[in-house]
Amino acid sequence: MSKDVEFVVKLIANTVIKNEQYFSELDGVVGDGDFGYSIARGFEKVVNEWDTVDHSLPSNTLKGVSIKIIGAVGGVSGPIWGTAFLRAGIALGTKPEINREDVIVMFRAAIEGIKKRGNADLGDKTLLDALVPAVDQLEKSFKDAKDTGAALDKAATVARASAEATRLMLAKRGRAAYTGERSIGTLDAGAIAIAILFEAISKAWKE
Amino acid sequence: MKKLINDPKDFVPEMLKGIALANPKTLKYIPQYNLIMRTDIPMANKVSIMQGSGSGHEPAHVMVVGRGMLDAACPGNVFAAPPADFVYHTTKLVASPKGVLHLLNNYTGDTMSFNMGREMAEADGIEVRTVTINDDVAVKGSLYTVGRRGVAGNFFVIKATGAAAERGTSLEDLEKLGNRVVENVRTMGMALTGCTPPAKGTPIFTLGEDEMEMGIGIHGEPGRKRVKLERANKIVDEMLEAVASDIPFKAGDEVALMINGMGGTPISELYLLYGYVHEQVEKRGMKIKRNYVGNYCTSLEMAGYSLTLLKLDPEIEELLAAPAEVAIRVF
Repeated sequence: MSKDVEFVVKLIANTVIKNEQYFSELDGVVGDGDFGYSIARGFEKVVNEWDTVDHSLPSNTLKGVSIKIIGAVGGVSGPIWGTAFLRAGIALGTKPEINREDVIVMFRAAIEGIKKRGNADLGDKTLLDALVPAVDQLEKSFKDAKDTGAALDKAATVARASAEATRLMLAKRGRAAYTGERSIGTLDAGAIAIAILFEAISKAWKE
Repeated sequence: MKKLINDPKDFVPEMLKGIALANPKTLKYIPQYNLIMRTDIPMANKVSIMQGSGSGHEPAHVMVVGRGMLDAACPGNVFAAPPADFVYHTTKLVASPKGVLHLLNNYTGDTMSFNMGREMAEADGIEVRTVTINDDVAVKGSLYTVGRRGVAGNFFVIKATGAAAERGTSLEDLEKLGNRVVENVRTMGMALTGCTPPAKGTPIFTLGEDEMEMGIGIHGEPGRKRVKLERANKIVDEMLEAVASDIPFKAGDEVALMINGMGGTPISELYLLYGYVHEQVEKRGMKIKRNYVGNYCTSLEMAGYSLTLLKLDPEIEELLAAPAEVAIRVF
């Protein structure tokens, strides 16, 4: 599954780049509209400089991508997404191949990294509010059945539902937090990004 | 979007190039870190002072790089904190044997980026201290938000620490001085219009002809409440009460007073506001020792202003009056 890590990372990068305008629009409702722009530039760098990264191990791919993101992406997204990739990479150690258990380990490490770096948790109205339920579902599906495609599908569905549910939440992190009650009624851009990425991965897995 | 720009993606680099070309003797531009720094630093017996933050607040911060104020600024994209790498490399470039002072506006992105950049610099053996600026009174600091924002009050932190650094003040004492300014400065802002970041292409928010936004930040994000537009004096009354009652400022206090334009308001309106604010501040028994009227910390072309009060002591007052030479001359 080593090539799968590269495949998924590239898919994430290209999906983010494709959605630059949409992500910025989401971020502009109660934020300052920089999310799409910032993160798209970072992933463009990841794609353009793909061959300068050491891909001898899945962990090296993830760490290399993390360095590119931290180097190129400012705002909150750089530290958060960069830390997520870094922790995921570190969690894999020197494994040359990864299995389904490793996927969950990677995601859990990424989640812990995001929580620590962002000083955030479930309920703060951030990307975590889509990512954590999606990963919970993925872990459960992996335990219950062999079909990876179906598991990804279910996770994507949960990610989407959880992301849509952020509309009702009061923002406690990010620029939206400054608007207080007015942040209720708007979607969290990070959570929607997670939903879109899970949907893209699930779709690509079938093909 | 109607702006004097070329490709929106090149907005920040082209602006920085212009600043450097306009100040060839005193400033140098390092494109890979969006960095504007003094040509004559680091100096062996002077702490270097740097700031990051986003672009879009000019003259803050790249245009207040110069003798007596900042030694370097490495902004991010418009309204976005710089990548941690910019902070790390800038810290390394400006580091003197006396250490580096980071001035940090209290925002999530800035804080993360500066924490990471500082950690990397400290791993290289550079001594770094940080002053966090959070003068905005509009947003309640609490456990459930990221805390109060750093806005126009950062100017006073820059001016005071910049002047003290020129005199060889130690890093530890500069940190104490910066924190003392932060403890004594309070700001509130309002807007008549939104603004449009070049890369976004559309306004971050729009207000109706008869609306205003109270409690804005400096990134074009909406404020605490949207209300009907009032006359200038009434707007001032509400904002001055919010600012003055926060520490609180008392009768007998000596103060510096700033009326800061958000970028899109004519200076005539800023002076109109100043006239009334001046009288009201004196009515409260405070003595205005220094005043600042103009664009110090803007939000692109947003129309609006912010009001800042700084409680002075003799040391801070003297540091504010000390000479400085920056791309814009506001003294």
